[in-house]
Amino acid sequence: MAWRGQLSKNIKELRLLMCQSSPASSSARAFVEKNYKELKTLNPKLPILIRECSGVEPQLWARYDLGVEKGIKLEGMTEPQILKALEDLVKAGQSLKA
Amino acid sequence: MGLGLLASKAIRPTTRLINFQNPNNLFLRTIVSKPELRNPEPAAAQPEQPLVDLSPRTPVGGARVHFPNPDDAIEVFVDGFPVKIPKGFSVLQACEVAGVDIPRFCYHSRLSIAGNCRMCLVEVEKSPKPVASCAMPALPGMKIKTDTPVAKKAREGVMEFLLMNHPLDCPICDQGGECDLQDQSMAFGSDRGRFTEMKRSVVDKNLGPLVKTVMTRCIQCTRCVRFASEVAGVQDLGMLGRGSGEEIGTYVEKLMTSELSGNVIDICPVGALTSKPFAFKARNWELKNTETIDVTDAVGSNIRIDSRGPEVMRIVPRLNEDINEEWISDKTRFCYDGLKRQRLNDPMIRGPDGRFKPVNWREALSVVAEVAHQVKPEEIVGISGKLSDAESMIVLKDFLNRLGSNNVWGEGIGVNTNADLRSGYIMNTSIAGLEKADAFLLVGTQPRVEAAMVNARIRKTVTVNQAKVGYIGPATDFNYDNQHLGTGPQTLIDIAEGRHPFSKIISNAKHPVIIVGGGIFERKDQDAIFAAVETIAKQGNVVRSDWNGLNVLLLHAAQAAALDLGLVPQSENSLESAKFVYLMGADDTNLDKIPKDAFVVYQGHHGDKSVYRANVILPAAAFSEKEGIYENTEGCTQQTWPAVPTVGDSRDDWKIIRALSEVAEVRLPYDTIGGVRARLRTVAPNLVQIDEREPAALPSSLRPTFTQKMDPTPFGVAVENFYMTDAITRASKIMAQCSAMLLKK
Repeated sequence: MAWRGQLSKNIKELRLLMCQSSPASSSARAFVEKNYKELKTLNPKLPILIRECSGVEPQLWARYDLGVEKGIKLEGMTEPQILKALEDLVKAGQSLKA
Repeated sequence: MGLGLLASKAIRPTTRLINFQNPNNLFLRTIVSKPELRNPEPAAAQPEQPLVDLSPRTPVGGARVHFPNPDDAIEVFVDGFPVKIPKGFSVLQACEVAGVDIPRFCYHSRLSIAGNCRMCLVEVEKSPKPVASCAMPALPGMKIKTDTPVAKKAREGVMEFLLMNHPLDCPICDQGGECDLQDQSMAFGSDRGRFTEMKRSVVDKNLGPLVKTVMTRCIQCTRCVRFASEVAGVQDLGMLGRGSGEEIGTYVEKLMTSELSGNVIDICPVGALTSKPFAFKARNWELKNTETIDVTDAVGSNIRIDSRGPEVMRIVPRLNEDINEEWISDKTRFCYDGLKRQRLNDPMIRGPDGRFKPVNWREALSVVAEVAHQVKPEEIVGISGKLSDAESMIVLKDFLNRLGSNNVWGEGIGVNTNADLRSGYIMNTSIAGLEKADAFLLVGTQPRVEAAMVNARIRKTVTVNQAKVGYIGPATDFNYDNQHLGTGPQTLIDIAEGRHPFSKIISNAKHPVIIVGGGIFERKDQDAIFAAVETIAKQGNVVRSDWNGLNVLLLHAAQAAALDLGLVPQSENSLESAKFVYLMGADDTNLDKIPKDAFVVYQGHHGDKSVYRANVILPAAAFSEKEGIYENTEGCTQQTWPAVPTVGDSRDDWKIIRALSEVAEVRLPYDTIGGVRARLRTVAPNLVQIDEREPAALPSSLRPTFTQKMDPTPFGVAVENFYMTDAITRASKIMAQCSAMLLKK
């Protein structure tokens, strides 16, 4: 899980959008409750913007250098799958740099 | 009315004679307007007749009735219509539920009941006299009659008494056209008067630069006195004298020093208290009304801008029970003359001689774009101001991100600010929710100057619930009982560790509220302070599933949206090493930090502080001239609407940056306001839910605690001068007068 500490190297900003109550966002909420603390501790300078809004489908967005952004819809994903999606976004950032 | 009076005077000399001879001459001996009112018989208890329509009618103003306890509902009959009302309602309220608007002067739903104008008299069956409906509690089975000869005659009589000493100077009165007395005398008054004596006159009082008084017009409804003592919390106004010598005043000559004093203009039913800056400026029917949002503080008070042509003539409040009820602060109401002064109307470039030269947009943008490309991306810094709307902030952020810079932040947001969880920076209790609270801990916040409307809510809660207030911060003025616990973070630690007596009060409270001031975001040790606050919250059970009492009270209109969009400084000293600084309405940034050789672009609507340092000026629209999204301190998104056209060659903020991005060859992918809002939806979707308050469900306690040393420096004063906090209010002459006369030095 070394990639977690590398977040701030490849990503400039991480954004998680979700609904406060809908079942579609439940795994995204669980993801935040479980992983946010660790991610933030490992990457204290990286903004991880968690934005709650009713009726929004859960999404994960990463902003890379020069304003390039990538987003993934999280609907139907389980909490480990979201972690995997995040890892993919980090890797995508690595390949962007290379 | 005026004509009727003249007519009655003209015929008076003969009236008495004829009356004696011919008492039935209705035309000459009329006391009341209609023949059937001459000898009103109390409406007899009518035999049960089949009523045509007993379906419930629409309550006045679409009012909804809340039954605190459904068992306590009682039924009364208003003009034969049965209505269900909760116990404790007055007759007047029952009539309102039944859809009957009772005329009134002294009664105001947000103030205590005085019952002294007698205008709301109605007939109640089995009652020997008409009753003042505002002061009479409704009883089960009461039969209220609002449309009978007795009620009508009573109103006519009261009206005649009120007009006896009222000057009838409507043609030169600023209240004309929106005067309760004028309207009600048209609707309920007699068509002539019988008063020939001298009218009484009262000396005008000097209440300061905001409220103009013409005390002769006063009808002694005492609304202003009750407002001052109950809502504003100042004991300045009172009633002096008795009988015809009765007058409203301050006893000793004194100015009204409340931040809410302008509201007495709205509640005054006549023209006794009117707006001084608006005096003789316009008639209310010539004005165009635009319903919009205030931006002078983070409350987002709902306002109506009244404009005539290109000029904002006045600002009045709009009803919003969740935010400002029906009040606004003086800064909101009277800052509008700042919109006409010091405006930037042309793009300008500073020449080698240090003087600004007006240029066209094409030239200005190409100069800015060229410089932006000459510097390294990490030397680019963008700062958004206190009044920026969400659209312009996201466009600024996208633009600088595309140039490769991450140094974009909003004013009032310091380094180390954690904007990850919304619950960490909004007012989670909501402004209306504060009314439930029974204990407040104010940490480094002076709500009276930072957010006057929130302070009015706290005051309401303190008076209604007897809530305890503890305050940590520099000595300041409160208009309710409070305990000054200390000045610095040390007190916070004492409370967190349970050594302070106030920690008992918090843990014993059912609905405790902690409010942290927005000034905290400028402190380097904010994480440590938030950690201490979280500890107090945990011990006092402040955050639970049904109640979230942990709040941050922000300072500026743009702050909540800036935090939502992630406009947070990423590193220290980025401003000190900047070569290209983009100030978007940022006037309260420390300009000394900007290096001498940096190129500064100022985009904004006022020639305020930052213009002195700017190399290029790009004129933008003020809040009264554009459509912009603002989020208030409780996380409620609202929108401004353009009331007046833009000044000169200025443009909307987001359009300027969008155009600049094209010249700088990093074209942003949207070119309509709809496109910008679609972009907002992918960053902070709550910002496009207009007029909705999106609560934050994830608690701020999820944030990791960094071991940070707490700085023992006492909390500072976030707002030095209530009347002058931003570019608009600093340009306002009225606000300058207020600061000179009303601030306690």
